[in-house]
Amino acid sequence: MISFDFEYYRPDTLKEAVDIFLKLDKEGKSPVYYGGGTELISMARVGSQSFGAVVDIKNIPECKVLGFNADTLCLGSAITLSDITEANYFPLLSKTAGRIADHTMQGKITFGGNLASTIIYRETVLPLLLTNARLTVAGKNGLAEVEIGQVFKERLRLQKGEFLVKATIDKKFLIAPYFHVKKTKNEKIDYPLITAEGLKLDGYVRIAFSGLASYPFREANIENMLNDSSLEFSQRADKIVQALSGVITSDLYGSAEYRKYVLKNTIVNILETLKDQ
Amino acid sequence: MPKTGIGVTVIRKEACNKVTGDAKYTNDFISVGILTAKMVTSTCAHAAIKKIDIAQASSLPGVRAIITGDNCSVIYGPLLEDRPPLAHKKVRYYGEPIALVVADNEFIASQAVFLIKVEYEPLPVVNSPSEAIRQGAVILHENLGSYKTVVEDVYPKPGTNICDQKQIRKGDIQKGFFESDIIEEARFILPQSDHIAMETRTAQAKINADGTVFIRSASQAPHGIKKEISKVFGLEEGKVIVEVPFVGGGFGGKASIQLELLAYMASKAVGGREIKIINSRENDIVTSPCRMGLEAIIKLGASKDGKLKAIQMTYLVDTGAYSDTGPRLARAIAVDCTGPYNIDNVWCDVLCVYTNHPYVTAFRGFGHASYTFCIERMIDKLARRLQMDPAEFRKINSLLPNHTTPTQVKVTESNFGNLVACIDKLKTLINWEEGDRLEIGNDKIKAKGMACLWKTSNSPPDEVSGVFLTFNEDGSINLNCGCVEYGPAMKTTAAQILSEKLKMDINRIYVNMDVNTKYSPKHWKTVASMTTFMLGRAVLRAAEDVIRQLKSLAAVVLRCPPENLEVEDEKIYVKSDPAIFLNFKDLVHGYKYNNGNSVEGQILGRGSFIMSDINVLDKETGKGKAGPYWTVGAQAVEIEFDKKEYTYRFIKAATVMDAGNLLNPSMAESLVKGGMCMGLGLGSRECFNYGPEGEVLDTSLRSYKVMHFGETPQYLVEFVETPQLDSPYEARGIAEHGIIGIPAALGNALSVAVQAELDELPLVPETIWRIKTGGVL
Repeated sequence: MISFDFEYYRPDTLKEAVDIFLKLDKEGKSPVYYGGGTELISMARVGSQSFGAVVDIKNIPECKVLGFNADTLCLGSAITLSDITEANYFPLLSKTAGRIADHTMQGKITFGGNLASTIIYRETVLPLLLTNARLTVAGKNGLAEVEIGQVFKERLRLQKGEFLVKATIDKKFLIAPYFHVKKTKNEKIDYPLITAEGLKLDGYVRIAFSGLASYPFREANIENMLNDSSLEFSQRADKIVQALSGVITSDLYGSAEYRKYVLKNTIVNILETLKDQ
Repeated sequence: MPKTGIGVTVIRKEACNKVTGDAKYTNDFISVGILTAKMVTSTCAHAAIKKIDIAQASSLPGVRAIITGDNCSVIYGPLLEDRPPLAHKKVRYYGEPIALVVADNEFIASQAVFLIKVEYEPLPVVNSPSEAIRQGAVILHENLGSYKTVVEDVYPKPGTNICDQKQIRKGDIQKGFFESDIIEEARFILPQSDHIAMETRTAQAKINADGTVFIRSASQAPHGIKKEISKVFGLEEGKVIVEVPFVGGGFGGKASIQLELLAYMASKAVGGREIKIINSRENDIVTSPCRMGLEAIIKLGASKDGKLKAIQMTYLVDTGAYSDTGPRLARAIAVDCTGPYNIDNVWCDVLCVYTNHPYVTAFRGFGHASYTFCIERMIDKLARRLQMDPAEFRKINSLLPNHTTPTQVKVTESNFGNLVACIDKLKTLINWEEGDRLEIGNDKIKAKGMACLWKTSNSPPDEVSGVFLTFNEDGSINLNCGCVEYGPAMKTTAAQILSEKLKMDINRIYVNMDVNTKYSPKHWKTVASMTTFMLGRAVLRAAEDVIRQLKSLAAVVLRCPPENLEVEDEKIYVKSDPAIFLNFKDLVHGYKYNNGNSVEGQILGRGSFIMSDINVLDKETGKGKAGPYWTVGAQAVEIEFDKKEYTYRFIKAATVMDAGNLLNPSMAESLVKGGMCMGLGLGSRECFNYGPEGEVLDTSLRSYKVMHFGETPQYLVEFVETPQLDSPYEARGIAEHGIIGIPAALGNALSVAVQAELDELPLVPETIWRIKTGGVL
């Protein structure tokens, strides 16, 4: 039971959505954009989030795109994780989406909702970081397309009233050799102890992580270490573990020391697997 | 589908209603105008309550009443009266109820709960059982000395955190260790965990104008609620009526009384109006009682030829903030403390200690899954030191007829069964001869571990069960009993026993699925795997009662001595000429002669049973008999372990249990499989993690993990049948037992695979890595 009242709006156009959001905000109703609701509902139920209004963006056609436009794959923010895995246009993203929560939840959780989540993992951002995806954001001045790195720093950083409309990914990334490793405390369906995923492009391995730190990330210096062919695989892994030791977290799911152990193994395994590809 | 009796698979009587969703549970009964009560719970594990500000919440329209500990002076406990239903001046665990809001509906009640502001002054916490008994430990209950003990055999130690101590002194421990060639010693840590029944706990209450109190609850103990509510609130027993419909899983968690007290208080506060209180999953995990934690230190000695000589044990039961069922768990551990092994020299202390953790109650296995982990790990350690096959080691040390148990009960084939036969059968079932550790390539190891189990009940010595039988005019029977149906098909078992005794079609026997204390005879509680035994004996007596009446009436009508008659298939016939018979339907509501004259009247059957030869255990030595018999078994787990990743998966879990006599084979197999599944959960993941201030960190299913269906290994179940001569049709209780040895078998399998001593639970990969490597990269 959610112990407060809130208003519900379901605009049909991007402009309507932004307008109503800003209007509600002006009225002091602390509105939020609403996708699948899995997070807002569960957080509101236990009293850790409150809002006076929700603006449901699932009826806006631009947020529901899922397909190709010339040389890019377009992924609307209101498509569900199940939509992504069933269409399977980008195997790495499908793998990622298919390992978030359980099957029932995947039918509700939206792509945009996962990216904008307050829960620290936001695993669907990893394929976007790896492919330098572009994000389309709706705001009071209309649509803007930006590089992912400009708006996603640890988390999605949008201005008040803005919301994510879609992500676009260059087609060439979709066929690159990839890897996806999700390690949990114990079971298949859980938050990640570490999710490491990446692509091999022109002989260079890109890598991004979730679960390791309190935010998902991809870092150039880590990739340089990973690709440093002057070092043995295990030396590269050691170097990466050392470089990241300041950000690796301890929590209910695992201690920092254990995460480091798993990270080292994971990196060696990845390098072993990719060496012939 | 067989129509009569025992030893055949019978589909549970409520199956159709359950699979179609037609079966009704407590919260499905919502009447017009029912109010909702909701708890405010503590966010501190130990604190003085400085202030509870209810002003804002009280002024909310639709809020009918707000109760705090200041409005309620009762203090409750089934064994030791130490728990206020609402915290008074002090909270002692994270999640403890502090205030109760009664409102028109759940929405308003939830709003009010968020508006109640509680000011705490945090106190230092006791965050583990060993901390609780440390010199200078913070004392949770400074008034322990003045608390009333409800039963004679609970021994609190004022000025400490020990609310009870049970001990076993058998033989001469010094001599035993002196005679031992090899001695192993180890320490074990098992955290608390939760039941996670599918239906969270819930209760409803109303008080009629004439003072009759009506409680409906998801409970394993309707008659217990009636007794306790009347006692705690000073009501006449006859004025308290408790109804329990189907219960959506209990696992022991619904044998305690908590929400029912709050429900009564809430209804009282609003002039007796009907109210309901429903646990959220979070409340059910942390506010309502959970499963005990355990710390243990064990020293076990054996001679070179592999005979166990002496055992010394100290168990610390983490009962949490209040005693509730803790002392009984302590006793259960003491009674069976050695495992099913013959050891002449036993020294065991079980301390039931308060901590600032959630308080505990029964959980499937009643303490046995916990201490069995410790004992069976010890047995494996010692077998390996002796370079003996762990299965053989268990066999040569098994209790046998004429041995004595830790409480000095003489073992017989009937009261104990045949453990050796279980081990032998298990060895074949799990292909033990293949070896317990096989390298299978890719850094993977296939490993097997074994554990034995035994369990007797720990009921009070004078508990009862009863049955009423009435007939329908067509000759079919209504069986009215007081046990609760929360899963193990008890009602069906009762019908099977009656069907066997009367040699009639089980489909013509109708059993009450709900229990109403106004109409149903008392059954102690549906716990302890004792229902078949107690209720079954009552059913047999009731059957004999109606047979006697039927034969007596038929004898008059047929003009023959009653002993010439036999009952079968709803007929009474003359043994020497079955063609001479009367149908039940012609007799059960009285017999009418051709001229209209009628005799007798309704045949009404009754059967009653009381536990007979059970004692209160001797305080000093523990000598005495705690339960009528044991159920023994042997279990094994096979896993595939990844040496590099420290991860593992289950391949097989196997159980061979001595069932005495299998009454319902498929049901028995399912019960044991369910137990094994829960055991794997306890072994591999289920636990409470506590923060430094004693707060429970896993209060939702986001972080508290249970077994997923997809992780299910291959389950193998077989039975041995050694008759239990006092039981109905020689059957032994088996409802809990599937869980008991599984965490230990898993611990043994993993310890073999990892080549490290894994002496704590749950065994998540990080724990295994930490123990194996010392946590060093």
